[in-house]
Amino acid sequence: MREQLLTDFDKIISDSKFSNNDIEHKRKSLNKFIENGFPTKKNEDWKFLDIGRIIDKNIGQLDFYNNYSSQNKIDTSIFVKGLEHNKIVFVNGRIEKIDLKHEENNKIEIKEESKSINKFNNINSLINLNNALTNKHYTITTKSGYSLKKPLIIYHSTTNSIYKKNINLRLDFKLEKNSSLKLIDYFYDDSNDNFLNIFYSFDLAKDSILKNYKIDHKDNKNLKYSYNHIDQSENSLSETFILSSGSSYLKHEINCNLNEKYSSAFVNGILKLDDLKNHEIKTNINHLNENTKSYQLVKSVLGKASKAAYQGKISVNSIAQKTDGYQLSKCILLDKTSEFNAKPELEIYADDVKCSHGSASGSLNEDSIFYLMSRGLNYEQSKELLINGFLLDVIEKITDSETKNLIKNTLGLKE
Amino acid sequence: MLKINNLNAKIEKKTILNNFSLNINPGEVHAIMGPNGSGKSTLSNILSGKKGYEVTGEILFENKNLFELETEERAHKGIFLAFQYPLEIPGVNTNIFLKTSLNAIRRAKGEKELDAIEFLNLVKEKAKNLKFDEEKLNRQLNVGFSGGEKKKNEILQMSILNPKLSILDETDSGLDIDALRVVADGVNALRKKNNSFLIITHYQRLLDYIKPDFVHVLINGKITKSGGPELALELEKKGYENFN
Repeated sequence: MREQLLTDFDKIISDSKFSNNDIEHKRKSLNKFIENGFPTKKNEDWKFLDIGRIIDKNIGQLDFYNNYSSQNKIDTSIFVKGLEHNKIVFVNGRIEKIDLKHEENNKIEIKEESKSINKFNNINSLINLNNALTNKHYTITTKSGYSLKKPLIIYHSTTNSIYKKNINLRLDFKLEKNSSLKLIDYFYDDSNDNFLNIFYSFDLAKDSILKNYKIDHKDNKNLKYSYNHIDQSENSLSETFILSSGSSYLKHEINCNLNEKYSSAFVNGILKLDDLKNHEIKTNINHLNENTKSYQLVKSVLGKASKAAYQGKISVNSIAQKTDGYQLSKCILLDKTSEFNAKPELEIYADDVKCSHGSASGSLNEDSIFYLMSRGLNYEQSKELLINGFLLDVIEKITDSETKNLIKNTLGLKE
Repeated sequence: MLKINNLNAKIEKKTILNNFSLNINPGEVHAIMGPNGSGKSTLSNILSGKKGYEVTGEILFENKNLFELETEERAHKGIFLAFQYPLEIPGVNTNIFLKTSLNAIRRAKGEKELDAIEFLNLVKEKAKNLKFDEEKLNRQLNVGFSGGEKKKNEILQMSILNPKLSILDETDSGLDIDALRVVADGVNALRKKNNSFLIITHYQRLLDYIKPDFVHVLINGKITKSGGPELALELEKKGYENFN
């Protein structure tokens, strides 16, 4: 892998226009990655989703270089219908379209820059890989006082022209004072056996609101890692919702710093898996100031030898009095072949806080199925009704009604 | 309509029903009374097709072998069980559930499915008759309902689905006198020459409001005595011990 990485890295650098400083930094990140390699379950954080082994077993040798000189065709049929939206379209990791037609000029800005390239070092091995190999760095800024009129959907689409590729993608979002952004990440894969490594950083200024909804629903055999770093200032709010279902392997990581008072973070998610899929949500919410709040609810429905994990950590700094932290995980195992792991962690150094966690998993209640069947519904319908009912309360946490409907439709929840 | 011949039922090797036989003709109301553990609920579960019992004997419903039918097929054929403990189904809207259920049965019978407006008109009328708070129909099925509301909801479902054979498993338990009257009115409104009822109860109280044609005493999985409505009064006076 080392030789391949070094060759591919040189090709990426020669294609790009990075400054010497940037290249130096990227090379450092690359060396760090080479030193540590892909994370494996020897690392506690990766014990439920051993990415090193998954790559060895399912993909083999990855190709780290992507030729971004030629344009990819956009398949417009993948666009979300019935919801007016702005879009950024990635096809195989290359930005093919930016369309912000619903917004006022200069109120949302997309710039290619590498200012923050130095900011996130050594978070983990995959972020090092991302830092080393991303060919472009974009910063998307929502200007002070502006609220996007329509959501921005980022389409992460792949086509079958890529195979055994590693794609690294990096976006930095800045929400200026009192601004708000609704961001939907919409994954659509027509490819298999690739590794997509997506790193977002968010900087939320005072009174700003971020809503980030991630939808991975279309079946595909790719491996994905999605890392969100969120920094929050006073009275800012972040809402993250994850619908994780389509990819063979997918790990979401949310690292959120509630840096200033009255900031709050909500992370809700659904892991709905079958066919040997393995997904994970890992969160790290850092309460770093007074009167900060976090709330997390993750619901999983697992069948057919699938595996899911939820690792939720709440850390409360010694000065973060009046913290309110909550996390709950519930899972339905549809058969004996599926597996769910929960690892809640609370690390509390302040004394006046309210923190709680809970986790429960079990099978569908056969008495409930009998009740529904005695009213004329067949087994499958009864099961579906119970599963949808189980998932409904986490969907109800979505505060944007249009997105809520989109997710309900995606899951086939009928009104 | 319903013929049960020599039904034996075991659960984990324990005999619950022991050579149980019963005939219910169209239009008849039968009451089965018995002490705790006599097999009353097992009987209603087996009639509705609940799994987990080891059974022998025969149950014919309109001359069809019930053991060959799944729970939902029995519902399609017109068997309804009002549960002793109606289940709470979180996240499932009561109205949507009722419509799904009614249309599943109508579809199976080859009848036209009701659209949203037709359904709402029907449900409104039935809810009104049962003095059932319509607002509750927009809530999650039985979630946060009181015991009485859950039982009323069972009777509401029964009146909407209009079954041929309704089995009421201790529907009266936990009901106050007003609710009892409403439930009885609901049942009486459905009494027609082709609709039959099997009412399972501990107490004679309900039978003051729903006059049965036959009363059976069930003890240790067996009918020990059958008679007319007067048998219920006798039971109330003498207790079950004298019928063993």
